[in-house]
Amino acid sequence: MKHVITFYLLFVCLITGLSAQNARDSAPFSQAKFVPDISLILDMSFLYRDMTNPRYQKYSIPAFTEFTPDQPIEDESPSHSIESSPRGFNLNYCEMSLYSVVDPYFDLFAVFHLSEHGIDLEEGYLTTRNFPHGLQAKAGKFLSHFGRINEQHEHYWDFSDIPLVYGSFFGGNLNEKGMRLSWVAPADFYFMLGGEILKGEDGSSFGSSGFGDAGGSVVVPEKDFPGISVSYVKSSFDVGDLTLLASLSGAFGTFRLHSGLDRSDDDGFAVDADAHVLGGALTLKYMMDSNRDITLQTEALYRTVDGTHYQTHAAAVSRNALTKRQSGLYCQLVHKGSRRWRMGIRLDYLDRNHFDLGGETAPLPRGLSRYSGMIECNPTEFSRIRVQANLDRSRFIKSEGLFRNKSVFEAMLQINLAIGAHGAHAF
Amino acid sequence: MRKALILILMIIGATTGVSAYRLKVVASYPYIASIVENIGKDRIQVSALARGDYDPHVIIPKPSYIGKVRKADLLIINGAQLEIGWLPPILNQAANPDILPGSRGFLDLSKYVSLIDVPESISRAQGDIHPEGNPHYYLDPYNIPPLSKAIAAKLNELDPGNESFYNGNLEAFLGLFNQKLEHWNDQMIPLKGAEVIEYHKNNDYFIRRFEMNLVGTVEPLPGIPPTSRHIESLEKIIQTKNIRFIFHDVYHPIEASRHLSIKFGLKLILIPHDVGAVKETDTIYSLYDTIIRRMVQ
Repeated sequence: MKHVITFYLLFVCLITGLSAQNARDSAPFSQAKFVPDISLILDMSFLYRDMTNPRYQKYSIPAFTEFTPDQPIEDESPSHSIESSPRGFNLNYCEMSLYSVVDPYFDLFAVFHLSEHGIDLEEGYLTTRNFPHGLQAKAGKFLSHFGRINEQHEHYWDFSDIPLVYGSFFGGNLNEKGMRLSWVAPADFYFMLGGEILKGEDGSSFGSSGFGDAGGSVVVPEKDFPGISVSYVKSSFDVGDLTLLASLSGAFGTFRLHSGLDRSDDDGFAVDADAHVLGGALTLKYMMDSNRDITLQTEALYRTVDGTHYQTHAAAVSRNALTKRQSGLYCQLVHKGSRRWRMGIRLDYLDRNHFDLGGETAPLPRGLSRYSGMIECNPTEFSRIRVQANLDRSRFIKSEGLFRNKSVFEAMLQINLAIGAHGAHAF
Repeated sequence: MRKALILILMIIGATTGVSAYRLKVVASYPYIASIVENIGKDRIQVSALARGDYDPHVIIPKPSYIGKVRKADLLIINGAQLEIGWLPPILNQAANPDILPGSRGFLDLSKYVSLIDVPESISRAQGDIHPEGNPHYYLDPYNIPPLSKAIAAKLNELDPGNESFYNGNLEAFLGLFNQKLEHWNDQMIPLKGAEVIEYHKNNDYFIRRFEMNLVGTVEPLPGIPPTSRHIESLEKIIQTKNIRFIFHDVYHPIEASRHLSIKFGLKLILIPHDVGAVKETDTIYSLYDTIIRRMVQ
């Protein structure tokens, strides 16, 4: 009975509310016009790989996907390797973004990654609107402007996966909490200088958490500020129908890794080191007309890690000097042949792979490659169907103390759809 | 150290002090730059971002545009969402508060004309539609005088004290342009009532002004390439009507329009959609001269 009365009252309120609205047609406090720009991007794929999922997980890129070539890292450690989709159907991501002007001083952007398992705040940041002299600040969590591909969202990539070198150095994109200040030159060409101070939780090349051993002989405090500082210079100019964009970037920070050092068994270890990543990027785009162009994009990255490696031995901790020198590049050529069709090829190459612990150099494979090709059809600017194939020769498995290589073939069909206020893409 | 300082001061002096300051105007499209040149003459520096022979909807936002917008005192756009696919990221990165929408150094020309084809409902199932209405309003030459007045008013606002200069240039421009309008009007009188087909809906303002009849478009929907089914239905329409022209632009693939032109013996006209679209359209005057000459020849 009580429910019936409640329901009845609710119904009456609703009806009177609606009729009142109709009668006067007034909404003095409506804020509907202030709704931010909302967009939703859905990305799904079907992946074929000539290797079962459990078997594929045993393969790695030695000293790239894991920090040390020998020691497996426990789950709770901050390191994370390249995320490879499993075989079969994948719902890669559903990305929702909100954007609006806040007031005369700030713009606000937020990007959420919605998955079947939850919501991640991919980005959430402000940018300033009215700094003078070409200065602009950004603060919050955002994709670092390091290099070229790092600041691009996944749906803007020309291939469905991140280049190997980015995957192994940054675990995908360098996406961190922090601040950025940039300056654009007033010129007929593009010249930009920028710097960022970031927290440094990335885990692949950087880290900030502290650690200690059980006995208290090792105490490395947490480094809370700054974890990483990034700086870059980018410039672009046009020569007729050719546009050239080049940049140099550097990310300088600390690397921390700990896996069971606080226990007194024999397999605990930790690393405290200085880590630097340097990058050079070059993009050349030649435009034949409105609908046809050809783009060459290449980036080379170099990583150095110098520090101390801690290892537990029967309740004691040994220290060893650690040095790591690694480099890699990717180079891709994409041809847009008409308004709808694009095709491209990409080479990934991990060149240097030097790991030195306590004066001993680990025998690691180097010169690792992956070859990719793709064809895509864009029915409109809001939908894309892409077929991509990879021949990945960078994967190794360790057996009887030796690294054994296995070529992995992957083919995928990817569909990407965007609805809502889909913003225009930058160059 | 002192030499370096003197050098820096010299460079600053050379870039700012020596010549009288000229207002820097950046226009999204070349036709705007051409009007601005006529009114601002040598008191301003004007440059256009997009190329006139490219599709105005899908301009590639080159990074060099960021530098140009960064140093602009005035940004003039076509508006009605024609630039939505390429200009916003340029404005975001240029870090120039003086030319952001809503500030003094920003002028949206679409606010000075009345737009046609404003859709009552919006869905992308209808193709690439423009919610504010058809943005290709500048192909009606009668829309140019109000645009030029808006531009002159804005130049007067940003560069005060030169009213006689800008207003004099405006008078001269309007005098010549109005003469041209009469001439174009006379030329177009015989084409009144002519039935036409166009590829994309970018000539609608022109068609309306000179009282021609638009019978169909080669695109099934804005931004969607023609399908064989749509061409078949268009062929049926052509058979029942007395079509005079097929209008095509310089940036869409021409095959479908050419097929219809050959099959039914229709005159296919390449319409320059902007200053710089074809070689002989280098000013705002020659844009309409060329369009009309291609029709009446």
